[in-house]
Amino acid sequence: MKAKSERRRLFIGDQGLLMNWDIQKTVWDYIFSKECCPVNFSESPLIITEPYFNFASIQEAMAEIFFEEYECQSFLRVNASDLSDYHYRKDNSSAQGCLVVDCGYSFSHIAPYIKGKKHKPGIKRIDVGGKLLTNHLKEIISYRQLHVMEETYVMNQIKEDACFVAYDLMANMAKAKKKYPENDIVMDYVLPDFTNIRRGYIRTLDQPPITEQQKLRLNNERFSVPEVLFHPSDVGLDEMGIGEAVSYCVSRCPSVVQSHLYANILVTGGSSLFPGFKERLFKEVRASAPDEFEVNITMPEDPTTYAWHGGAMLSRDPDFYSFVVTKEEYEEEGPTICMERFDG
Amino acid sequence: MSGRGGYSRESGRLKDANQRRVLDEATRQRRARQAVEALDSDNFHDDPHGDLVANKNAPKFQDTLDTRETRKRRSKSADYYKFKYRRTLPQMIEYESLVRPEQPTFVDAQVPPSNFPKRNFCAVCGFPSGYRCITCGVRYCSVSCLATHAETRCLKWTA
Repeated sequence: MKAKSERRRLFIGDQGLLMNWDIQKTVWDYIFSKECCPVNFSESPLIITEPYFNFASIQEAMAEIFFEEYECQSFLRVNASDLSDYHYRKDNSSAQGCLVVDCGYSFSHIAPYIKGKKHKPGIKRIDVGGKLLTNHLKEIISYRQLHVMEETYVMNQIKEDACFVAYDLMANMAKAKKKYPENDIVMDYVLPDFTNIRRGYIRTLDQPPITEQQKLRLNNERFSVPEVLFHPSDVGLDEMGIGEAVSYCVSRCPSVVQSHLYANILVTGGSSLFPGFKERLFKEVRASAPDEFEVNITMPEDPTTYAWHGGAMLSRDPDFYSFVVTKEEYEEEGPTICMERFDG
Repeated sequence: MSGRGGYSRESGRLKDANQRRVLDEATRQRRARQAVEALDSDNFHDDPHGDLVANKNAPKFQDTLDTRETRKRRSKSADYYKFKYRRTLPQMIEYESLVRPEQPTFVDAQVPPSNFPKRNFCAVCGFPSGYRCITCGVRYCSVSCLATHAETRCLKWTA
């Protein structure tokens, strides 16, 4: 084995793929157990989501486990954004297309759908997601203030509580350079000690200072961390940001549908929950989209569960059972039937 | 000028700069790549406060169930799956090209590099920066940030 620094991964982002089957199986066992969500697979169909362009070897293994281990009666494998697009079409029946921007944990995807069908050449992935943002926050706080590399959970809470997307980065930077009363960005975050304080919280500077608890001073960290979504090059990742990638993906679609895609941008996924995300995305897309096209961004009430609800709606669709693969079909024709039906 | 004992007119700053080890471009790139990979690494660790159980009856994530029905199902251990389906990335890519030739793959789906110029931020404080460290090429914004950088990070990571 080479020294750790010499080992090289083929490309970034392989952590978002299902690689550790033992762990995943344990998780599935728990999910379908009596403690969590008891389910009878002979009655309930299963919808499972996977990343775009998932590897065939992973897909085959997944089908094998569900049909042979869990004895699943009917099985549907989709991308999460397929379900978001389905939900969106149900909500907006006149939409001719939909561009789903899904900012997840391991990566963010931009996927154009034309009348419910995904346009594969336009699907692109940015290797920035919630995990990278939390790691980045951890890294800069550990360097500037307090060693928190082992405190992923708390740092993730700080990210969710305090970070926001800047509408104008340089204006915010200039403001963050000033001292407190003119600088309304700077704030303290009181860390939990897990005896008196169970969860950390924000403390603005107009409150009287406290000395007994440990706290972090957050200033430009609050907006420079989510900024990585829009400029991955800020951390040395040589990729387009979300705003730029939206126009790039639309430009890879047929010109007749481009105006529909710009007018129906749907934002989902946990990393889109930063305050100001939608406004910033609109600003960037509006700046690069042709002037005659309308740009319209929809953000569901809860972007994290939008796809799940789409799946729930799909399962009540009268045509639902024409999409699934049943156990009999799988036993008759083997894994190829899944590929034909789900990737066609 | 050498007449006056010990005094020389050479610039202390330039002399200092010449003595400093300057990293070559390849090393700088390798260090930058390592930093990106570290950001992308899995950030799971055991909950440091996991031992502090407030309530013994709180639901736990059980990996052994003792009911008879599930034990029968559980005849194969988790390790069985680990080894059965284990593929390395090159193996998966090769298999992919056999099963779905001529189709876009996971690798192709990555977005291309940005068309906008890279912005520069101080590696110490995060504000916009105008200077680079001569030795390792990291950005900094002020003399005090450079001092912090030289003291803590400059050439101190094992490259």
